[in-house]
Amino acid sequence: MAEVELDCMGEACPIPLVKAQKKIEELAVDDILIVHIDHSCAMKNLPEWAREAGHNVEIEEIDDGEWDVIIEKVK
Amino acid sequence: MSDTPTAAPGGGTGGSIRRSLRSTPSKRRKKKNQIPMGLAVLAFIVIGIVLLAGGSPLLAFFWLTGNVFGFVLQKTRFCFTAAMRDPYLTGGTSLAKAVLVALAVTSIGFVAIKYGAHAQGLPIPGQSFVVPVSLATVAGGTMFGIGMVISGGCASGTLMRVGEGFGMQMLSLFFFVVGSFWGARDFGWWTLHFIARGKAIFLPDIFGWLGAIVVQLAVIACLWIAADKWAKHKSAAEHQ
Repeated sequence: MAEVELDCMGEACPIPLVKAQKKIEELAVDDILIVHIDHSCAMKNLPEWAREAGHNVEIEEIDDGEWDVIIEKVK
Repeated sequence: MSDTPTAAPGGGTGGSIRRSLRSTPSKRRKKKNQIPMGLAVLAFIVIGIVLLAGGSPLLAFFWLTGNVFGFVLQKTRFCFTAAMRDPYLTGGTSLAKAVLVALAVTSIGFVAIKYGAHAQGLPIPGQSFVVPVSLATVAGGTMFGIGMVISGGCASGTLMRVGEGFGMQMLSLFFFVVGSFWGARDFGWWTLHFIARGKAIFLPDIFGWLGAIVVQLAVIACLWIAADKWAKHKSAAEHQ
């Protein structure tokens, strides 16, 4: 069960999502992808996409305006 | 962590995802209490209303609606850019549908205001915003669309995220201002050579007042259904 971190600090809206989409394809089932973001818009569309794709998602607010989106690849 | 959402529907576990200690942020700072600052900002807004109302009630109203609009925009994560972009990029259309609902609601409001004035024999307000449509509109929209996807926000979205403190978009805002300034400078030329060649269409002139709102709402409803179907179609394709 690997764990991969993706640093998307300072990246505007679609970039974290596109990076996460590409990354998750490389991962195996049960791997965990942690995306660091500080763009509020990505806080919405990243979890939305991941849930839609059927993965487990959690959001953790690290600091004011900084979040970790934790995605567990389910399938 | 009150805003942590529950596990994904259909995801199964329902519990939290175990992450390794390595990646768990150890040096977590204690968050500052933001309530005093929030109250200060609220007081600032109220004082602004009072001060402005003395000089110009209209300005006070703009100040209030501007603040309220910004608040709603931030809290709902409403984003016109994402509404246009996500259907293609991720297949998510929840924001696109939200924009359509907003358009439907404002359409009804605008008809109420405009028809109200018309029925009383007053000049219809806001008619100077009925401007010609042509291929120039499509070209301009496409260019604006490319720009807003690259810069990560349209006008309102950029302003809202600058307010949130997202540094990169301060750059967007700066060049947005530069671009607007340049556009305003040459607007006469564009109007003369391109925009004025189109035809201004005011729907009530064509369909009548009732017809206009019915046609407009019907078009919005069709787009809403299309957006809904599109999301299901994309999600079904992904699950295969």
